[in-house]
This record gives sequence, structure tokens and C-alpha cells, in this order.
Amino acid sequence: MATDVELQTSGNIWKVLVEAEQSVAAGETLFIMEVMKMEVPHTAPCDGKVSALHINEGDEGLDAGMVAVTLV
Amino acid sequence: MFTVIKPGLETSVQDYPGRIGFRNQGFPPSGPMDSWSFRLANLLVGNEPGAAALECQYMGPTLRFSSAAIIAITGADMQATLDGETVPLWQSLYVQPGQALEMKFARHGIRAYIAFAGGIDSPPWLGSQSTFNKAGVGGIEGHALKEGQEVKLHAVEIDKTMAGRSVIESARPELGDGKHWNIQVVLGPNDDWLDERGIDTFLTSNWKLSGKSDRTGFRLEGPELTFSQKAIHKAPEHGSEPSNIIDQGYPVGGINLAGETLIILVNDGPSMGGFINPFTVPMSEFWKLGQAKPGAIFNFTAISVDEAQQQGRAIDALCNTKNII
Repeated sequence: MATDVELQTSGNIWKVLVEAEQSVAAGETLFIMEVMKMEVPHTAPCDGKVSALHINEGDEGLDAGMVAVTLV
Repeated sequence: MFTVIKPGLETSVQDYPGRIGFRNQGFPPSGPMDSWSFRLANLLVGNEPGAAALECQYMGPTLRFSSAAIIAITGADMQATLDGETVPLWQSLYVQPGQALEMKFARHGIRAYIAFAGGIDSPPWLGSQSTFNKAGVGGIEGHALKEGQEVKLHAVEIDKTMAGRSVIESARPELGDGKHWNIQVVLGPNDDWLDERGIDTFLTSNWKLSGKSDRTGFRLEGPELTFSQKAIHKAPEHGSEPSNIIDQGYPVGGINLAGETLIILVNDGPSMGGFINPFTVPMSEFWKLGQAKPGAIFNFTAISVDEAQQQGRAIDALCNTKNII
């Protein structure tokens, strides 16, 4: 079953730490957002493989709630 | 009293109007960015409008109450739930001891306010409980909330009839889609350092709010501004860049031209420095800044100081118990 990882805040994408098709472990940081000059890491809620990556480093002004990464 | 289970993103204690009277010693006013929503939250729970409450930014906190409370949430919609039940915004509610208030990301707006009957009990510093995070003063131990902290409320009799009151719709700020804002400014103090074209460019361009904005400054991305002779031919002590000026006091809301970058100096901003401030955002417009999303487009319109003060008084008049039903 697919698991969507949503943006937990509006803001910019500072770093993307995974690539498509990469296997990840629960708790692993997938990407880091930047807002108010603070880093907001987003971690994998479960073990899985990155099936879709909808964000790029440097993306700006994204809305909270957007699906950033899909894990299967 | 409540315990901080999750702090959210720089959730802080603020009061209104904040730390007033110490700018000459470098202290900004701090206080809530959207003081309109903030004051209404306090009025909903029966407090004075300026009582100490929480400002939540982007991602709200999770709090567990150890005593009964009357609370109200206003401003941004952070999907608040109380023991899993959706909490209506702009409305007071009764919280039982042991219940948990959980907030998530802001879906609509950016800053939410949580007021508690009695207000937050924390030691004032220079006359205000407002947190000035960068200097580590005010609030709870000088900083934003941290996981595991216990926050005291002033003891008041919890009157359940204070629950279920709401702010009439016409008294609430309109947050729109958060991505387009028309913000009114007054010219000065250093508008004479720009030429006519520079002022016109500022007032007619789209300005994008940078994600690198916080309670110190709101950075804007847009075209370059052009300068008057005053900025170009000046005494060397002013500095080498056209936007340099011999160190001067900065107004709260000053739109600071740091080299080529415009930065609106907001609640926790600096009190002085060596760049010009050609325009100033009046505090009556700060609520818009507080609710603007990163990437939002700002357009600026010039108004007079009198008009700005009238608007401030109009918002003051809305923050009144007669608009609570």
C-alpha cells in the first residue's frame, strides 16, 4: 500500500535526501524544508521504497498538505 | 496549567502591545504579528485583549491540560482537535482536565492564536511577557515553547457559560487565499533617497515574500529600485552603497533597503542601523504580514499617516466585546 508524505508546513524545499526508487527505513529523513530560517525535517513514517518524488531542491512557496513523496 | 507535548514551530508567549518603551535601548516591541486575531482570542475567553497568550506559526503545538480551562483559537486554521474532536475557530470552548489540544499545519493563514481564560502566568520582563526569542527574554525562559514544559495560567474561576461564544463574522480579519496581499504603506522616513522612478517602481511592482522571513524581517524579492542624487552624492561617512546612511533609528515596520534587498522590519526587528527605510508599513497592516504565505505576492499602496492611524483605530474598534456573541 502506498503511503503519502505531505508537507507539514508551507515554505521552501531546502534539501532532498532521497532519490526515486531508493529504499528507506522508518524515521529516515527524506527531505528538509526551510521556513522562517528554520529547518523542518520530514521523515519516512514507515519502511518502504520511494515510488514518486514530487519536490525538488530549491522549490519555493509550496503549500502545506501537498504530497511530496510517495512510499510503497 | 498545561504541558507542552509537541511545541510546534516556534510557538511563543506574546502579549499586546508588547514591550513598549525600550526601543532606544535596542528592544523591539515583540508581541503578536496578527494582533487583531490575538485580541479577539482574548476577548472570547473573557480576558483583557492584551493578556498573554500563544502565537503559533506554520505548525501548531500539542498541549495537554492538567486543569479545566476556557480557551479560544483564532487566526490561521491549524486543524485543531480536542481529544480528536474538531475545534471550531473564533469560538470559546471548555476544556476538561486531562484533555489534549492537538494542532497541525496551517491550512489557511499562517499564524494562529490560543488564548486561555486568566491568561498565561509567566514573569514579565521590562513590563511585558512577550517572547523575544533572539535575545532570550520574556515568555517561558526567554524562548519559544519546548517539549515537556509546564505552562501556568493565572487562576480564575472557570465559568462554563463563557464557552460557545463566537466572534461575529464582520469583526474577523479576512485571510483570503494568503497568496495575494495589498499592503498599505506610508512614505518615509528616507523616501527622499529614492528618485521618482524608484518610488514608482516600488508602488507598481509585484513583490514576492521570501521563505527566509521570520519575526525579525520579511524579505521581499522584486525589481531593483533607483536612487536620488541624495543617495549617490553624499558625505563619505554615510557609507559606500547608495542605500547606506549614517546609523539611524529604524521605525517598527520600516521597509529597509539593505543593499538591493527590501526587508520589512517587523515585531522582533532591529531598532537601528545604517540602511535607508524609504517606506514604513503601519502596525495596523501587520496582521496581513503575519498571515501571508511564503511566496505570496505583495502590492503596496501609499497612504497618509492620518489614514494609517484611522485604520488602526478601526481595527481597535472591532476588537471589542460587543462583537462577541
